[in-house]
Amino acid sequence: MMTSWKQRSGITSLAKKMMHSLTLLALVLVTGQLAFAQTTVTGTVTDASNGTPLPTVNVLVQGTTVGTSTDLDGNYSITVPEGSNVLTFSYIGYITVNIPIDGRTEINVALDVDEVLLEDVVVVGYGSQSQKEITSSVATVGEEDFNKGTINSPAQLLQGKVPGLSIYNRGGDPNSSPTIRLRGISTVGANTEPLVVIDGVIGASLDNIDPADIEAISVLKDGSAAAIYGTRGSSGVILVTTKKGTRAGAGIAPGENVEIDYSGSVNLDVVANTQPVMSASEYIAAGGNDLGSVTDWQDEVTRDAVSHVHNISVSGGTANTIFRVSTNYRNVEGVLQESAFEQINARANVSHTALDDRLDLTLNVATTKKENNFSFNEALRYAVLYNPTAPITFDNGEYFQAILFDNFNPVAIYKQNVNEGKSKNINFNVQGSFDVTDQFTLSANFGQQFSNFSSGTFYPSNSFFRGLNRNGLASRFFNDSRFTLFETYGAYADNFGPANVTLTAGYSFQENQYEEMFLELGNFPTNVQGYHGIDLSGDRVVGLASNVNVNSFQTPEERIIAFFGRLNVTYDNGLFLNASVRREGSTKLGADNQWGFFPAVGIGADLNNYFDLGPVNQLKVRAGYGVTGALPGPSGLSQDLWTYSFSGGGTVSKARDGNPDLKWEEKAEINVGVDFGVFDDRLTGTLDFYTRDINDFILEVEVPTDVFVSGSQFQNVGKLQTIGFEAAAYYDVVRTRDLRYNTGFTFSTYETTLEEFTVEEQMRSNLGAPGQNGTNLIRVATGERIGQIWGPVFDYVDENGAPVMKDLNGDGQVISNQGAALADNGDFKELGNGIPDFELGWNHQVFYKNFEFTAFFRGAFGHSLVNTYRAFYEPIDPGAINSYNRIKTDKAVAGLTSAQFSSLYVEKADFVKLDNVTLAYNFDPEMVPMFKSLQAYVNARNVFTITDYTGIDPEPVLASPGASDNGGFAGGPDVLSPGIDRRNNYFTSRTFTFGINIGF
Amino acid sequence: MNSRKLFSLALLISLIGYGCTDLNETLNSDFTESFTPNNPGFGQSANVNGSIPADGLNAAYSAIMTGTGNNGAWFHINGIASDEMLIPQRGGDWFDGGIYIDLHTHNFKSTDGQTNNTWNDAYNGITQVNTLLEKGGLSADQVAQLRVVRAYFHWRLMDAFGRVKIQTQVGASVPQSDRPEVYQFIIDELEAAIPDLNPENGYARAGKFAAHAFAARVYLNAGVYKRSVSGGISSAPWTGDYSAELQKAIDHTDAVINSGLYELDSDFANVFAPDNVDNPEHIWVLPYDEATGGGLNFAMMTLHYPSQLTYDLEQQPWNGYSTLESFYNSFEDGDARKEASFIVGPQTDINGNPILDVAFDKNDPDGAAINYTPAINELFPNASRQAGARLGKFSFKIGQKPDGDNDFPLFRFAEMHLIKAEATARLNSNWSHPTTLALVNILRERAGVSAFTSLTADEFLAELGREKFQEVHRRTDLIRFDAWGDSWDFKPAHSDRYKEVFPIPNAQLNATTDGSLTQNPGY
Repeated sequence: MMTSWKQRSGITSLAKKMMHSLTLLALVLVTGQLAFAQTTVTGTVTDASNGTPLPTVNVLVQGTTVGTSTDLDGNYSITVPEGSNVLTFSYIGYITVNIPIDGRTEINVALDVDEVLLEDVVVVGYGSQSQKEITSSVATVGEEDFNKGTINSPAQLLQGKVPGLSIYNRGGDPNSSPTIRLRGISTVGANTEPLVVIDGVIGASLDNIDPADIEAISVLKDGSAAAIYGTRGSSGVILVTTKKGTRAGAGIAPGENVEIDYSGSVNLDVVANTQPVMSASEYIAAGGNDLGSVTDWQDEVTRDAVSHVHNISVSGGTANTIFRVSTNYRNVEGVLQESAFEQINARANVSHTALDDRLDLTLNVATTKKENNFSFNEALRYAVLYNPTAPITFDNGEYFQAILFDNFNPVAIYKQNVNEGKSKNINFNVQGSFDVTDQFTLSANFGQQFSNFSSGTFYPSNSFFRGLNRNGLASRFFNDSRFTLFETYGAYADNFGPANVTLTAGYSFQENQYEEMFLELGNFPTNVQGYHGIDLSGDRVVGLASNVNVNSFQTPEERIIAFFGRLNVTYDNGLFLNASVRREGSTKLGADNQWGFFPAVGIGADLNNYFDLGPVNQLKVRAGYGVTGALPGPSGLSQDLWTYSFSGGGTVSKARDGNPDLKWEEKAEINVGVDFGVFDDRLTGTLDFYTRDINDFILEVEVPTDVFVSGSQFQNVGKLQTIGFEAAAYYDVVRTRDLRYNTGFTFSTYETTLEEFTVEEQMRSNLGAPGQNGTNLIRVATGERIGQIWGPVFDYVDENGAPVMKDLNGDGQVISNQGAALADNGDFKELGNGIPDFELGWNHQVFYKNFEFTAFFRGAFGHSLVNTYRAFYEPIDPGAINSYNRIKTDKAVAGLTSAQFSSLYVEKADFVKLDNVTLAYNFDPEMVPMFKSLQAYVNARNVFTITDYTGIDPEPVLASPGASDNGGFAGGPDVLSPGIDRRNNYFTSRTFTFGINIGF
Repeated sequence: MNSRKLFSLALLISLIGYGCTDLNETLNSDFTESFTPNNPGFGQSANVNGSIPADGLNAAYSAIMTGTGNNGAWFHINGIASDEMLIPQRGGDWFDGGIYIDLHTHNFKSTDGQTNNTWNDAYNGITQVNTLLEKGGLSADQVAQLRVVRAYFHWRLMDAFGRVKIQTQVGASVPQSDRPEVYQFIIDELEAAIPDLNPENGYARAGKFAAHAFAARVYLNAGVYKRSVSGGISSAPWTGDYSAELQKAIDHTDAVINSGLYELDSDFANVFAPDNVDNPEHIWVLPYDEATGGGLNFAMMTLHYPSQLTYDLEQQPWNGYSTLESFYNSFEDGDARKEASFIVGPQTDINGNPILDVAFDKNDPDGAAINYTPAINELFPNASRQAGARLGKFSFKIGQKPDGDNDFPLFRFAEMHLIKAEATARLNSNWSHPTTLALVNILRERAGVSAFTSLTADEFLAELGREKFQEVHRRTDLIRFDAWGDSWDFKPAHSDRYKEVFPIPNAQLNATTDGSLTQNPGY
């Protein structure tokens, strides 16, 4: 399938045109050619297919730097210097023509649409195909359709644009990466994030690519497309293509097509939503301890954040060589005080063609240096909870602190403590392809990526939050990783009568390894040196040495090795067959199960080729089947492990029984789809229906401890099935010359069922302290839908202020303590589901003369969230109100004084938000003669959200991290436990951007 | 370069690539087999810990430490279910899905995580033992020690769950055994091990007399353990003739007493203090240590948040465990054991100033100044934050870390007095038997309270509580005296005899896919 936002925004074409003009202008000024004798030529440029006048067509006197562009009616007038005789007409999407003047003063031109350009070529892995030949579900989003404004993470360029691709970055934390899920949960124990391929480099990191350098992103959604990537394709594949230079063609001299572009933006982030809590007076009235001050803690720990971003790129080419170099600088602040990062990224690519175009060589290099100030998300949490009558500081300037459980002065947290990180990424790859014969091409790709990340934290001796009791606490963390890729493959393409056949076969080698070092020490003579003075730790004294926390770790050389082959057949330009196989092995699996086999086949038919479908000018049906795999995260799971501890003076004990039978997790997917276009592609769209069976999924499961030394082991234990439907439609509502308006709509829905599992039912994900440990919230049950929030249903408040739950099973007794959630006589039910029923995206683009307006709405429906702030802090609990402020929502139940999880705290979180709105103005070249092109825009993101959810952010939580409290750290996210809105979440922000894009 | 050369080069590169299919996994930061450390005994600070023998048996012995001195497993389920301790819901704290309330009121749940931890900890220890035994190269004494340790884990399992698996192999699924079979296995193992054991095997090790002490305790409970669980526990303890087992209990305690290796410490509190290493009363201890033997964190479990200032604790405690008012009141004033076992009254910081709970409940008559009152207003939902006498027997030192230094005695000399006293009384059906009175009064004299001139079973049970509080004996003792269904603070009486054992953990039933494990009757 091909999702293309058909209507071009016009920015690119205009920019190119303006750049040409500017180059010309510059050269004109330098050489002073205006002194020569001249003639003037006028005329109109139209679209050859329908006669519509074309505005802003680039008109150039060949061999000179003289140029102009057509006006809004397609008219132009150009002064031709003496001695020149050819005009070049170029316009993006149309074939460039060179027309001799031959003494004429009026030349009217009809430009033909460039079919090759419009028939988008889709990168599909180890090659590319035309959109028409695709038989699987592939979505491509080009630069012109990316989300606008200051986007710091490549994934966010696509948010809402591709049906079935869920991208959620809860809150506005500049230091966090969004969660990406394709078609829901594809695996439970293995890596749930899609495989990223950047310019052909498998497994590359999105961290080392600046969003400004991305030309287009393709998403391989179904199994038949992803199977060529084998073991790591189950969660989908995201193919990133970076921007390239352009080759100098006919009529353009080398050096003349050099483009210099600058884009820059400055933006303001403001807090979009805070957690509603009691004011100081409300708090006192409710029985809270009056400490004499009035403090708005949420205001104290947040700020209006200002960020700026700059990108400069230079690209160009000769007839044989193209290049592009770019530098990107980002200085980004978050709304949480001090949270920020600064990043410098550089990228260069050069391609050279030799031996009569038979040899192509490409070098890509990129580096990224990033410095993070993570600040402390806990400051936000305690700002919600802290006593609103507490002062920030005492009169002597020291921070107010109370010795209470899970209670820290929020301002002190971010002001006293340090939490910083630095990362460096370098990657390069060299690609070569050689046309051995006209039919046979041999390609090779070698790439490496080196990354390191280091971080440091420091909690001084006067910091209640982690530092006080250790007399200062410092930590350092270092990670160094490397990744190597080597692939070779050959492709044979030939025609056999009406059949075009391409056969591809190759080999792939990937190796990944990283090492880590962690050091944590306390007891410092001074706070002055922070974590850089970690050597001053008094914990090094022998009697205190047990406080020293050291961890050193290196992974094995994790290898993935594969052989693959693919057959593409196009018959009669109307029937399409794509089939592939990949045999792939991994070090992470049991010795006898390392190799897996991943086949795929897809067929498609272009019905227009065979039937007259009236106004339906495009109708393609396709079906695909493919098998992909998923790997466990850690290495070593197939081997027995032993540990050493100092306990008892030195203990070597068996820690884990390996699973020598561990094998691939396997996903078999069937995808059936239709692509259509009606009324000359005025209305286009695509529909996809799929089922995916995930077999032998890998999960750490409980095993009997009388047989296995540890109570858990990674096993291939169950089966998940997902059934889903996706649709996208695009419509050109208005297409007059001055006003164009198009709209696009995406829809996706899926449901995932746990078909087989080792246990019939199980509760996961603890709510946590204070007072709600032993309260697992999510039920997982064989044969049922994933994502069930499970608990008792609130009925009324008893005379003690305690909640009384409903007798759901009607047996005359209420069993509602969460520990009995699965008991036969328990009164529990599904209170909501953490996974949305469906998700929508709705895009609008309006072009009016030089104005360009886009607005993008996004929504998710049917999901629920456990509002954990309310679950802990809403009841007016006399034993807790003096420790924590109370959450104040209209969902509170009067008289309830006891916090106990129930249906009260599970809220529907349906929402629609105006996610992104942009107004841009493209200056006419005459208005800004110093530039080739100039666009200025204003953008706002997260403009408003319509929802009934009372928490900070109604976006779905696809995987919940564990509970954390009292300065502890949360565990990793659990994909089987969606739907829990934990207390450490970053606040959402609303972003306003002003930016300019300049072509020189 | 011409195209032919280029093609050759490309072909060469391809062939090199195709040659590499090596998928061996070499782990660099994990041990894939056992080894002998170069530095056995390293890491001990001599002032707080004894010298643990470098005998290679640590994996087995240190496994006992898990869950014994902290929240969340064996200590937890035995303690809270009995009449000696509880964790009330203190407003927003310690509700936790009702798990402590359910445990204290004997609504035992097979899904309870703490019950599952108890099971896992024991079987982990058994696996460590069996792994060492399979590895071989051990002396007869070492094999005997490991059999005692393995029997000890089986005893914990049998005592808690009744019907468990007797596991003597590594990695094999074996059938579930009824309680009398497990009882017999433990007895047989101990009787077989004793002849091979050295009299003493060093600090934190089981010697011959630890095995005798252990055997005495098992025989003393024969009237409980020899009843079937599989068919439902149908009769009261001691139904039938147990004179042979009681005599065995006496014989084994005599062996310990007559060894001359152990004596009572004249100061009761010393036996449990942070510096209690090599206390003469200890027969077999767990060598908890703040640096090299983590896992005993009573300070964290019991103290109120601001009590951090009283002991200059490294971390803020949790304000959880308290004792029952009725249990506290079972001690008479002047009993040294009362003073040593509980923390009550107004609390001060390290300089003697009162400490305040700024978030005190305004209905609390004691106000903000912290005062641990033995009275607890309710079990839930709003027990006063400072209510309840706190657990102080394993006392705290200034500057205490989360992990304490106190060694935890699995068997100590005073228990031998009590076993012999009780077995004698039961054998003679006379709780005022002169031997019984004499032995009990030795302990009372040490505690500074008057001697008994006569005793009843109930009085004897109460005396057991006073002597052995917080040492995880109480549940076993209550069941042996058929008092498990009695009512006590916040716990109504019941006559559900099946509750004498806990349910088999749901997680284990789920994980055991071959059907070889079934739930206890009644659950």
